[in-house]
Amino acid sequence: MVKLIKMIGLPLLALAGIGSFSAIALAVEQEHATLIREESLYTSAGANAQKTAQAGRGSALTILERSNADNQPWIRAFVRLEQGTQTREITGWLPARTVITASTANGDEVIFGQAVDSERQAEERGGRKGAAEDALRLYARVPELFPGSPLAAEAMWRAADIRWQLAKADFVRSGKPLDDKYLREVVAKFPQSKQAELAAYDLLDNQMCPEWRGMAECPIKESALYEQYAHQHPQSPKAAEALYNAAWRQAALTDIYRINNDREKSEAARKKATALAQEVQGQQPDVDWKARATDLIYKLEQKIPIYGAGVVEAGETK
Amino acid sequence: MKLRTGALLLAISFFSLVTPAQQKEQGTIIDEVQMYVSPDANAQKLARATRGRDVPLVMERTKIGDQSWAHVLIIVDVDRERETNRQITGWVPSKVVISTATPNADQIIFGEAVDSENQAEQRGGRKHAAEDAMRLYYRIYDYWPNSPLAGEALWRAADVRWQLEKADVRLRPSSREMNPDLRNPIDDEPMKLVMKKYPHTKWSDLAAYDLIDNKLCGSWKGETHCPEKESELYEKYAREHPQSPKAAEALFNAAWRQAALVQMYGAQHDKERDKARRRAMELAQEAAAKSSAGDPKLADWKPRAMELMYSLQQGIPTYDAGTDRK
Repeated sequence: MVKLIKMIGLPLLALAGIGSFSAIALAVEQEHATLIREESLYTSAGANAQKTAQAGRGSALTILERSNADNQPWIRAFVRLEQGTQTREITGWLPARTVITASTANGDEVIFGQAVDSERQAEERGGRKGAAEDALRLYARVPELFPGSPLAAEAMWRAADIRWQLAKADFVRSGKPLDDKYLREVVAKFPQSKQAELAAYDLLDNQMCPEWRGMAECPIKESALYEQYAHQHPQSPKAAEALYNAAWRQAALTDIYRINNDREKSEAARKKATALAQEVQGQQPDVDWKARATDLIYKLEQKIPIYGAGVVEAGETK
Repeated sequence: MKLRTGALLLAISFFSLVTPAQQKEQGTIIDEVQMYVSPDANAQKLARATRGRDVPLVMERTKIGDQSWAHVLIIVDVDRERETNRQITGWVPSKVVISTATPNADQIIFGEAVDSENQAEQRGGRKHAAEDAMRLYYRIYDYWPNSPLAGEALWRAADVRWQLEKADVRLRPSSREMNPDLRNPIDDEPMKLVMKKYPHTKWSDLAAYDLIDNKLCGSWKGETHCPEKESELYEKYAREHPQSPKAAEALFNAAWRQAALVQMYGAQHDKERDKARRRAMELAQEAAAKSSAGDPKLADWKPRAMELMYSLQQGIPTYDAGTDRK
């Protein structure tokens, strides 16, 4: 909440001299809120007034005034509109029914529920445009408006993860570097939590090579990173995946060294890969990772190529 | 699946004349391989066999130099669309054949299936990886029916097939037909097989849930009878499968359709509207109660139900009639 006041404080001060926003409003605690539906902003209370802008789900609101029009409550709010990396602030009137404040009963669950709905929409073919960004904003609002909510950590993590996934997709297209600020905030704010462990796993992405180009350095480094993660976060929901990824990279090294006729290193990588895969088998109750580890061990035993394998020929890698 | 099973039966009946059942080595392959006329990588190539192909018989194995070879009968597709297939005999590297003689065969095949499913979900993943996963999962049920993984494997095979067909059905113009009888249904035989072979299990519950898809309207076109019928279907499912991992979702879907009816009835039919609102609230409360905070897959249904109840109380629309979005 404090963070929001800090961020919005300056533009509010600037507006104070222009509109009817009074100095008294600044003195009292400002009421922050968000939207669970897309709404039009109006110049005055009432649906017949002139529309000035559209505010999306999860927009950050500071409530300035309340009124009634068309037999329903209206709110005048200072709204932060976010579109991609662009942000602009605007004041306007909107129907109060879609506005969730910190005092709304079960407000955290209501916002979280709409965020889940938006996330699902984003995953569906033909789902609502901008639904992923809606979900991101809605999740982000939960810890801001309800810092004590049992959903706060999960919501903050989901917001950071969606932002990360969107940035990753953007990175593939534009090569723009990933900003890890939001994931680091999850780790800092909820240390030792499941969400911090998931955030730490996402952060490994930034240390991965974009391409291996058949060189050994990359899989060596990546395998070490995944193994380190698994051993530092043994309770993480991603521990099995991390161990498997470490094993898979060692298995790939087996092939890379063999292609380079370095039998000794190839054999050492095979042993390491087998040991890591056995660790997955031994530790994980998860059916999928256990089976994948068994499959990997079989391939290592049988010398079935893993890296760069096309069609398995008589002992050759394609 | 019908055709696949038919071809399999034919193959089995033919070879049962030759080899006694107990000696038969059967299985599948876990990598894409080239088949040869003889055990030699320089021999004439016969065909390319993909992951999960049915190997109803491993006829012999031999070692040439460092390389082990298996002489196998493989059933391959001729026409994917028409699901016609043929049997080919040839030699493949022995290491890719996972058979009834391989230790932990069910685990290895399941692992390869999970890997293929994962590939199918990835942008730029291997082509036809979903079909590979479907076949690999099915083979576990087929040749290792007593494996602890068999029920889940058969369900996953049926579900992958269902999702592929569903995506295909959606591309056809008939998918927007209001009446579900006017469009080609998704083949429900694989799902019915799951329910028959593994009754009263989680897999059977999940299969029954997928089957609802065939009864849903392609679009509502503002008509109330579609959401009414669909709400009933979901509620019935939740009552008949209270232990299902899909029970909370079914209750939410039933509630959501009642909430849509509130909007559709509007002020002109206030009695029906009020009844739908009450029903939506009751069902949403049930969905929230079914949602389990301890299970991450179920935990989301409570906040979704809470949001639906809040929207109903505040008169916030939940159904976009313009896009007929469900």
